[in-house]
Amino acid sequence: MTPRNSVDGREHGTVGGNEESARTLESHRKYLMRYALFHLRESSLAEDAVQDTLIAALAQHDAFEGRSQLRTWLTSILKHKIIDLVRKRGRGLPVDVLQLGEEDGPAGNSFNASGRWVDPPADWGLPDAAFESKQFWRVYQKCCQRMPERHALVFSMREVMDLSTEEICKKLQISKSNLHVILYRARLSLRSCMTENWFAGDHA
Amino acid sequence: MRKLMYSCEQASKLSSRAMEEPLGRLDRSLLRLHLMMCRGCRNFSRQIAFLRRASRKVPEVLEKDED
Repeated sequence: MTPRNSVDGREHGTVGGNEESARTLESHRKYLMRYALFHLRESSLAEDAVQDTLIAALAQHDAFEGRSQLRTWLTSILKHKIIDLVRKRGRGLPVDVLQLGEEDGPAGNSFNASGRWVDPPADWGLPDAAFESKQFWRVYQKCCQRMPERHALVFSMREVMDLSTEEICKKLQISKSNLHVILYRARLSLRSCMTENWFAGDHA
Repeated sequence: MRKLMYSCEQASKLSSRAMEEPLGRLDRSLLRLHLMMCRGCRNFSRQIAFLRRASRKVPEVLEKDED
């Protein structure tokens, strides 16, 4: 087999090595903070989620050291912390989703009484070009935050975190049809906000 | 008898559901029929697909936001 002279003990425990990993960890922490803020809106909540994540990660010290995809691993812990936090505080749990009313965000009156668009969606052209624009992402985040909080969380669990519908239903204890209603309302709201604040301007 | 023409509200709801699970055969055909005739719903359906592409990019964008 291959010689094992790389295991000479110098890579671990040197001062330089610790500084290096402290710096790496700090950059991960900043990323986790941005990720948490995107979903939680409140910075004190986001800080809690990130702190819990790092504590949980450090508790699995061995796994922590050996990870090559450290950030991916940390992010997957963070996702669960975010969901737990929102659940624990009793927010974001869409108990009464079936009573979604007209007051539920800007999407409430997209249709008239006979189910036609009040303002039919216009062509967005070739929207993917917007991915390069920082301003686009600012508008996108603002529009996500304009949704009712529980909708925003469900939407981002599905679309940003890319969790399966089954997983979301189980975690939030909602039915599949509830989930479909929430995602639908979220999409109506987000597309109407993006139309108003991005695509109706000179960007598209 | 069930109404054979979907309203825009029903059609857009189905477009959204179709992103989560395969539709039944009847729903699929009626949705396709509606989309053929309704530009607003065609745009809606494309736009929600775009919003999914955008959302899936968010972690990558947050990554690039490095200071």
